[in-house]
Amino acid sequence: MAKDPGNGWDSSQLSIINQSCMNKIFHEQSVLHRPGHATCRKTFRYLFFAAFSLLVSTAGFAQSFTVKGTITAQDGETLPGASVIVKGSSTGTTTDVDGKYSLNISDPSATLVVTYIGYIAQEIAVANRSQIDVKLLVNDKTLDEIVVVGYGTQKKATLTGSVSEVKGSDIVKSPQPNLSNSLAGRFSGFVANNRGGEPGYDGSSYTIRGFASTGNSDVLIVVDGIPGQVGGLDRLDPNDIESVSILKDASAAVYGSRAANGVILVTTKRGTTGKPVISYSFNQGFSSPTRLPKLADAPTYATILNEIDYYNNPAGGMNQFYSAEEIEKFRNGSDPINYPNTNWQKETLKNFALQNQHNLGINGGTDNVKYYVSLGTIYQDGLYKNGATKYKQYNFRSNVDANVTKDFKVSLSLSGRQENRQFPVSSAGNTFRSIYRAYPTVVAKYPNGFYSTGVENSNPVVLGTDMGGTTSNPTSVFNGIVRASYNIPAIQGLSVDGFYSVDKSFNFSKTFSTPYKLYSYNKANDSYGSVVTGGSAGFASLSQKQINITNLTQNIRLSYERQIGKHNINTFVAYEQNKRNEATFEASRINYPTTSTPELSQGGAAATDKNNSGSSFNFTRKSYIGRLAYNFSEKYLAEVQARLDGSSVFPKGKQYGFFPSVSAGYRISEEDWFKNSVTFIDDLKIRASYGSLGNDNVGQFQYYNNYSFNNQYVTGANVITSGIDLTKLANPNITWETSKKMDIGLNAVVLKRFNVEVIYFNQKRSNILAARSASIPNTSGIVNPHKTDQSTPLVPDENLGKVNSSGFEATLGYNHSGKFRYSISGNVTYAKSKIVFIDEAPGVLDYQRQTGGALYRDLYYRSIGIFRTQADLDNYPHLQGAQFGDLILEDYNKDGKITADDQIRSDYGNVPLLTYGLVFNGGYKAFDASIVFSGQGMVSQYVLPESGQVGNFYSSWADNRYSPSNPEGTFPRADTRASSSINGGLYKNDFWLNNASFVRLKNIEVGYTLPKTALSKIKIASLRIYASAFNLFTITGVKDYDPEGNSNSGQFYPQQRILNLGVNIKF
Amino acid sequence: MKSIKNITKTVALGVLLMSAGCQENFLDVVPTDRVSDASILSDSVLFEAYVINRYMGTRLTDKEAEGTPPGFGRGFEYAMWSSLTDESIYNNDDNTWLIQRGQIAPENTGIAGTLWGRSYRSIREINYALTNLDKVPMSADKRSKLKGEMQFIRAFRYHDLIRNYGKVVLPGDKVYQISDDLTSQELFDRADIKAGIDYAVAQLNEAAALLPESNDSNWKLGRATKGAALALKARLLLYAASPLYNAGTWQQAAQAAKAVMDLNKYSLYTGGYRNLFTTTTDNPEIIFGRLYAQGARHVCLEIANGPNSYNAWGGNVPVQNLVDDYEMLDGSKITDAGSSYNPADPYKNRDPRFYATILYNDAPYRNSTIQTYTPGGKDSKDGPSNWNTSKTGYYLKKFMNDALPIDNPWDIAGTQTWIYFRYAEILLNYAEAQNEAAGPDASVYTAINAVRQRTGVAMPVLPAGLTQAQMREKIRNERRIELAFEEHRYYDVRRWKIAGVTENKPAYGIEIGRNGTAYTYTKKEALTGRNFTDKQYWLPIPRAEIQASNNKLEQNPGY
Repeated sequence: MAKDPGNGWDSSQLSIINQSCMNKIFHEQSVLHRPGHATCRKTFRYLFFAAFSLLVSTAGFAQSFTVKGTITAQDGETLPGASVIVKGSSTGTTTDVDGKYSLNISDPSATLVVTYIGYIAQEIAVANRSQIDVKLLVNDKTLDEIVVVGYGTQKKATLTGSVSEVKGSDIVKSPQPNLSNSLAGRFSGFVANNRGGEPGYDGSSYTIRGFASTGNSDVLIVVDGIPGQVGGLDRLDPNDIESVSILKDASAAVYGSRAANGVILVTTKRGTTGKPVISYSFNQGFSSPTRLPKLADAPTYATILNEIDYYNNPAGGMNQFYSAEEIEKFRNGSDPINYPNTNWQKETLKNFALQNQHNLGINGGTDNVKYYVSLGTIYQDGLYKNGATKYKQYNFRSNVDANVTKDFKVSLSLSGRQENRQFPVSSAGNTFRSIYRAYPTVVAKYPNGFYSTGVENSNPVVLGTDMGGTTSNPTSVFNGIVRASYNIPAIQGLSVDGFYSVDKSFNFSKTFSTPYKLYSYNKANDSYGSVVTGGSAGFASLSQKQINITNLTQNIRLSYERQIGKHNINTFVAYEQNKRNEATFEASRINYPTTSTPELSQGGAAATDKNNSGSSFNFTRKSYIGRLAYNFSEKYLAEVQARLDGSSVFPKGKQYGFFPSVSAGYRISEEDWFKNSVTFIDDLKIRASYGSLGNDNVGQFQYYNNYSFNNQYVTGANVITSGIDLTKLANPNITWETSKKMDIGLNAVVLKRFNVEVIYFNQKRSNILAARSASIPNTSGIVNPHKTDQSTPLVPDENLGKVNSSGFEATLGYNHSGKFRYSISGNVTYAKSKIVFIDEAPGVLDYQRQTGGALYRDLYYRSIGIFRTQADLDNYPHLQGAQFGDLILEDYNKDGKITADDQIRSDYGNVPLLTYGLVFNGGYKAFDASIVFSGQGMVSQYVLPESGQVGNFYSSWADNRYSPSNPEGTFPRADTRASSSINGGLYKNDFWLNNASFVRLKNIEVGYTLPKTALSKIKIASLRIYASAFNLFTITGVKDYDPEGNSNSGQFYPQQRILNLGVNIKF
Repeated sequence: MKSIKNITKTVALGVLLMSAGCQENFLDVVPTDRVSDASILSDSVLFEAYVINRYMGTRLTDKEAEGTPPGFGRGFEYAMWSSLTDESIYNNDDNTWLIQRGQIAPENTGIAGTLWGRSYRSIREINYALTNLDKVPMSADKRSKLKGEMQFIRAFRYHDLIRNYGKVVLPGDKVYQISDDLTSQELFDRADIKAGIDYAVAQLNEAAALLPESNDSNWKLGRATKGAALALKARLLLYAASPLYNAGTWQQAAQAAKAVMDLNKYSLYTGGYRNLFTTTTDNPEIIFGRLYAQGARHVCLEIANGPNSYNAWGGNVPVQNLVDDYEMLDGSKITDAGSSYNPADPYKNRDPRFYATILYNDAPYRNSTIQTYTPGGKDSKDGPSNWNTSKTGYYLKKFMNDALPIDNPWDIAGTQTWIYFRYAEILLNYAEAQNEAAGPDASVYTAINAVRQRTGVAMPVLPAGLTQAQMREKIRNERRIELAFEEHRYYDVRRWKIAGVTENKPAYGIEIGRNGTAYTYTKKEALTGRNFTDKQYWLPIPRAEIQASNNKLEQNPGY
């Protein structure tokens, strides 16, 4: 059989050798602490010969023995593509179209393993038979599934809380690498929007069951049991994910302190007993914007500029800016330098950008040591031509579990990640702002290669590149968790366990900004003027920043789990503490004599050329946690949880909060009378939960007056003097925000194939931490500063907000087994909030109040048409200076004037009240497909483009604008600046408020698994190729931008549509 | 069995280690990045650092205080206060046109909406320090200086409030806390203008007695002196005596101005009118100003206001209305019968301050000349980046420092001193008040002629024998010219109650056609719809503030 033993090895045999060797290594290094190299080598050599002789012997003496048969389902339907394998070997085959197989085996006493997706695997001893037909039973195992919950796992059947779960195997079917984008549409209760697609910052923002607080709405992320693990969710390698669970109701109370906004539990893969399985996958993706607005061309824009001048000075006529001849030149392209027609999107952006992902994983183990090890890389290119935007990630994970003795287990989880982000100096927002603003009447690049000044010395074609320098932003994340558990032998079911986790992240960024020249052509003297932009004042400048985060979490727990007769008890008490430290250091330097020395110490020598700053803080938490779960015969279910949390964010005496919850369930289907009378319902459970959860996600040290250095006042010549500002007033009473959540659910399995879940929920959020503003008169001197990224309100957070929210979720699934196997599941979530108390001015008009309505509804004037005739102007109250082509704003309060009193609240904000999804998974023979639709409704987004003399117009506006020559236009007339026009920003109105509902094909993947027979020759256990796509198409009424965006100006890096090809190989 | 024992030991040890971690004071975290009341009130260095920053205010809106926090009034911003008057328009609007057009409303205050909140916040911060001043250990001398300084700053905030809103709320020394009843009526009672002026003037009298006469190494330039307090008092009393206020006498106003003159400390700058605004130190004319530096800058004026062919953005562009009010070099007005003014060569032989203030067609600027003519002028719409072309045909020159770059100035420029009070204003304040109180006596002539004849200007002295009314007109025009773009015009036309005339005129610009070497000049409307009604004598109190008061705060009339 095999001439060269080295090449002739069966891969599984090789794996066995490797594995035992590896076990040895693990054993010796982790437990015995002795160098084990020699021993291992010896073992290896021994096994080598043993295997060789075995091979030779089987090759010499094996007798061919053929087994044939048909694999069918219970109902007799034949199952093509089912796999039949000789247990413990790689010998195997798959059934043909008629469900028939034929297999040569060497040992007539072997055992066959028959598997088929959606069916329970069967093992059948051959026992010298040559004809073996197998009937497979449908696997309705969903009820036996184990679901990850806070501080443990639970059987899905006996779950009393609202927990949704998705498996890692489903997540990897999305071709985009950001985990947060893979969850939308998959289950009810999860509301996500992908706000932009810039590589490195392309994640979704999400809430559990919508907004329920006026304050912070961040969902707590728990990775492998570590609450708030540094590194978060977005950048976890999807290939490493075992499952993602979402705790939507009071079941999250076990994370009391930070659970009010819901909890996402991520569990990574761990080793399983068996020979090592090496799997490798590769994805090559092609990404392009889901949509970009179409913009006006040069002749149109030139005409609009004339109109704007006309409106500002009607006496001057219609050609004050450009003559008709000039506009014709824009149109006919006869003078492309002076009268170009530039499409800035085309000039700046590529048709598609490349991205790819590699992942290599090894999984295996013995009864005593199991391991999962993986390596992954991600590369994403930005959309800019010659662009500087790149994202590159390297990650590893090593999860090892060892049984030291029967009762003592330890595990070590290590993971690390390098996220290398690189950007041009111009932010994506700024670059896209420039693309949308840049005039089509300005050339992008002169024929001699000079770049033009674009719009106000921002040429988008240049902004995306490294011409002005780059920002490199490498971030390293390390997570290490050591766990130990010990079953106390004296008492059955009693155990103690704990973990110690260390998170570190190092976020470094370095921006080297270099000067470059842009040109403008002066036709009067046929010369080019140049302007130096970038850098500072003609020289390069550098700024560097380092943020280090350390997060330590310790936990120790005493658990008791036991079944006594029909009584099942599962309980624990635990203590946990957490300390987070964050330190920031920044330095900058200007006046670099050369651009070839981008280092901090190589810049300008003057004292004024240098600057630096730094700060740090600690945040600590202490928690006492307990849970008691009890069920009788898996029929009557009850659970009590409680958490006592202390947080350093609150003052002494107010530091602790108590967060209890209770839940109960009743599985009616377990009653004998039910089983006997209602046969079409296989499982029926009603359940309810109620509990109190907390939120402490607010600024620190608000319990006393805060003063900070702000050195900005100059005394003497050029001397910046030390100055101190009051930055926060004291609230000595600040304490926990609480959320009381109630949840009633019904779960059923009908006709073995239908899964139903219906949930009603409500939440009462109180003591919401918010800073007052509107109700405090300025004359008190308590005045909040303008909101920027750097500033926080002067007024401290107070426990004053109250919001109620409620809604329902429903999921209906159907599984079909057979030749064409598939499952289809639809889900819908409706969540609406009602503000009970929010800080509002006492004098606010009733119909403008936020109180009583849903969160995040803004004030808008209502536009009810366009002034087209003098009669319109006479008939409608209007603003001073209103003219034809202006929007008619409704005089809502009918006082004959258009004032701020005419604004009303919008029906919806930009977080949808209604979300839904449809998930399809199917397979036919060796083909498989997976489809996720996601959609939203009852949502609106305001977008007012930065148009006018300041920037170009969307074609939808330009082509349909009112103008003296288009008096029937459906859009208002062009104005100097949309942002300060009475048709735009000056009187923010609902003309620019779009219904952002959509249905989109979020993910689709079609795969094909190559027949095993073809692969066994090249020693590959399985090989699957697939094509997938993300955001393939969208149905929406929004015309100009992606409806998931949330920029009020529409100026953002667009969401990505990704087409992807991939391969997955297992050895 | 032995290994089990070991394991038990290990676990026990682990538990011990863990519990060692849960110290009693684990939750008591000490901040390292901020300071508390206790520190401020026990350390005179920290206390003084707190007081110094009160010269600055809080940023309350977008597009305000680019660079460092705002001071008093508006100062050097992208859209300057001058662009709310007949001095200039702001080319890029930025919520100035709605004020020029009289569309200002409580809900739409344009750029003029932040003085109310910023001033009251500063007053509260001063009140806190004043109330606690005696607790802080320091020398008696330092204590009295700081007291005077704070009284000056507080009075300056009232000056900002009174000249914009008229009747204001006077909380005295009260320091409101968030736990106070913030619906209390005392927060909403607006005292009449006289009470406001009297309060501020009384504060300034005290401040003048406590503040040092001069800046020195212990009391650096940029901090208020006695002269600053007296100058502010002089301005407040001048306003108080004016028709709109009617809350004081011209005689008081004249005396207050005289008190500054009598310090014999200040004099007109002799380095030229243009350099006056770029010379920070050793400038005897500056009584009080806000200093800036690299790293603590204001808007980079040269790029913000320069012409388009210079890669600048043509921001605050002077209007023809102002250009026409510059006298001829011989002292005649261009509208005077027999004036030497030539409409075909309008920029010839004008008041030298015109050339130092305004960039006009053919004016030399930075190794080139301004070309606002068409066709083909590089600073006209035929030039590069023509969206930055001035709508009026003029660009601002005053304040610009030619030594600072236009291209990429961000870390370099924006360092000019914003002058709050300079001696020329005091002289003009005196001339105006004395003329109103006693008629055009010799001291009036002396004061105004000193300004006209300042080094580098040398305009002819005013003719003798002017009537009080004629002198009034001369003084008013002198203020318009001498103090252009320095945040005076807006308040002057209001207090004189002439805004109904000046602010209802269209904002004119000039269109210059070139034919060979000959130019034609056509006046054009640069911004349509300028409109002023009586309500605009005072700013509206922001709608949010009226609502916060539950309508207990009285709005200014007409809004």
